[in-house]
Amino acid sequence: MDKDYIHIILADDDEDDRMLFTDAFEEMKINTKVNTFNDGVELMDYLNNPNAVLPNVLFLDLNMPKKNGIECLNEIKKDDRFNDIAIAIFSTSSSEEHIEETFVLGANIYIKKPSDFTTLKKVLSDVVTINWQYYTSGLNRDNFLLRL
Amino acid sequence: MKLSKIYKSAIFLKSIFVVSIFAIFFISAVTFKHISLLDNSSKWVNHSYDINLELERLMSYIKDAETGQRGFLITKDSTFLVPYIQSKNKINQSFAKVKKYTKDNPAQENNLRKLEFYISKRQNYLSLALHLSLKKSITDKEVKEKLVIGKQTMDSIRNQVDKMILFEKKTLKGRELYYKDTIKVTPIFVYITLLITLMLISISYIRITRDLEKLQISNNSLVVLNESNNLAEIVGSFGSWQLNVDTKEYTFSDNSYRLLGYEPKAFFASQENFMKYIHPDDLSAFRDASSKMIENGTMSPFTYRVIRKDKKVRYFRTTARIVTNKSGEEILIGTTSDVTEEVLASLSLEQQNIELEASNKELVAFNYVASHDLQEPLRKIQTFVSRLADKEYDNLSESGKEFMTRINNSVERMRILIDDLLQYSRTTKIEKVFESTDLNDLFENAKSDLLQSIEEKNAVIKNEKLPTMTVIPFQIQQLFANLIGNSLKYSKADIAPKIKISCKRVIAFEEELIPKKTKDKFYKITFTDNGIGFEQEYAEKIFILFNRLHNKNEYVGTGIGLAICKKIVENHKGFIFAEGKPNVGATFTIYLPEDNH
Repeated sequence: MDKDYIHIILADDDEDDRMLFTDAFEEMKINTKVNTFNDGVELMDYLNNPNAVLPNVLFLDLNMPKKNGIECLNEIKKDDRFNDIAIAIFSTSSSEEHIEETFVLGANIYIKKPSDFTTLKKVLSDVVTINWQYYTSGLNRDNFLLRL
Repeated sequence: MKLSKIYKSAIFLKSIFVVSIFAIFFISAVTFKHISLLDNSSKWVNHSYDINLELERLMSYIKDAETGQRGFLITKDSTFLVPYIQSKNKINQSFAKVKKYTKDNPAQENNLRKLEFYISKRQNYLSLALHLSLKKSITDKEVKEKLVIGKQTMDSIRNQVDKMILFEKKTLKGRELYYKDTIKVTPIFVYITLLITLMLISISYIRITRDLEKLQISNNSLVVLNESNNLAEIVGSFGSWQLNVDTKEYTFSDNSYRLLGYEPKAFFASQENFMKYIHPDDLSAFRDASSKMIENGTMSPFTYRVIRKDKKVRYFRTTARIVTNKSGEEILIGTTSDVTEEVLASLSLEQQNIELEASNKELVAFNYVASHDLQEPLRKIQTFVSRLADKEYDNLSESGKEFMTRINNSVERMRILIDDLLQYSRTTKIEKVFESTDLNDLFENAKSDLLQSIEEKNAVIKNEKLPTMTVIPFQIQQLFANLIGNSLKYSKADIAPKIKISCKRVIAFEEELIPKKTKDKFYKITFTDNGIGFEQEYAEKIFILFNRLHNKNEYVGTGIGLAICKKIVENHKGFIFAEGKPNVGATFTIYLPEDNH
């Protein structure tokens, strides 16, 4: 994998969120490449292509049409090919059920979508610069939800 | 005391009966003996008289013979010889009689032998004298001599007869004496026995009368009991029945018939007749239940439908149990009650429950979805406003900047409202998973949730050690966070908030606040702060949803936080109370049951 930039994918059905997401990375001084998908089906079609460039970090919205975030997470975790992808749940909801379920399924971090652009930028920059190997080894239920 | 026990026992009457019978036998035996004695003694008297009479008669015959002989001797007239000859025969007859009478008495027999001797001697002399006088050869001197001897013999006879009569009299006297003795003692004895028997019979009579009275009384109360049972059956709309397991005979109470719309005893009591009224759909279930009942000897409450005489469908419930009576017969005793109202009520209640549950679920889902989906556009408004503020702030006029701030405030307030509403709906959601949890951990989590606010206000929070309990963990954490948050929110502007949390294990009936006066154990956790407090009259109102004591411009608050607290505590079957004093502070007391299940 080319180490010059961090490859980031976002799957979110909300156009505004996708726009804010890409805007945030544009404003950050981090060398990233951002791809977005409109729903779970599009995302999985892309990932299942053997020639696809796999992302370093995958941001996954939960509430999506056709195939929701939980289903995507399930499929990704079943395939060893995707073992190196860090998965960040990126959702409006911060309900205990969702946090619990995604943690159990093996997501790496849970982010509640911030309601402030500055915060959004900070959160995204924090997440993409985490040393995932180090972070994941110390992962537990308490630090799973990224506290803002 | 022992005596009265014997008196009351059932054996008492029986023993009296036996004793009385023996006494009566005894009396009859004695009386019989007595009568036969009397009979005997009169026989003996007659006997003695007979002997004496016969002896006198014998005497007179002898005299007759003598008189006749004398007359002949003097007159030589042969007519005088007739009584003489006759008397000879009579003497023999009379003597034979006496002999017969005295044959059982040796002393008299002896006497009689002597008499016989004298009599024959006398007769010899008589006939000798006669013979001599007939021959005319006899001298007067000879006759005189013979007469003297005859007289002497006659004296001897008289003597002997007197002796015999005297003997008889003596014997009679002796018998009389014995008889008198016997007759003197026996009546007293019989009399005493009779008295005792009478006394015993009297006692048993009293006893029987008393028993009869008791029987009457218990009979009366049985009648009353029966009547009240009938009345109870009518009022409680149930009927009782019995089945003799061996003879298969049924008995239905009057009200059993009434339940089916019939007059008492309107049809023959049998299972077949009763089954005619059972709803066709329930018939096979009823058959199963009743055959099982006879098999097991008991029937747990079984509900079925019947069609009454007036064609109305009613619900009946039957239950039965086997009992063995004193005669060893197995009898199945059962009651059948009309439970139509109960069944209908429970059916409608069930229906209502289902509807209520559905609408409750719907409401929770609606609440959750609404708050959740409302967050989405709101978050975007906030994000875009923040972008606007970042990028375009300098291009805005003063009033434009003012509007931006106000938009921000309103949106922020709405976000808090939605957050709280979301939390409230989550606390009412049906799934509640109880886990054994260390409340200290939950408390620390709650504090870290509020870390920013705690630091901003320089709040000091001191807590005693909390227990480990079976709770819904995230709810209790929420409860702690809400209570601490509440204290932080309503703190005095110029004084750093101090929050003290204490914990104690208590027993329900010792706590004034707990309405249930039981021995259940509770943990009492109190949150005391030094905030603005409140008037005690609002102590209950503050737990009601959307109820606020302050203007929203003074203090940020949605009126949901404490409602959530109440909900959570209720989910744990606990109690929450508030106590306030304006400008001094507030105390929130939570009681959580030690054992939730």
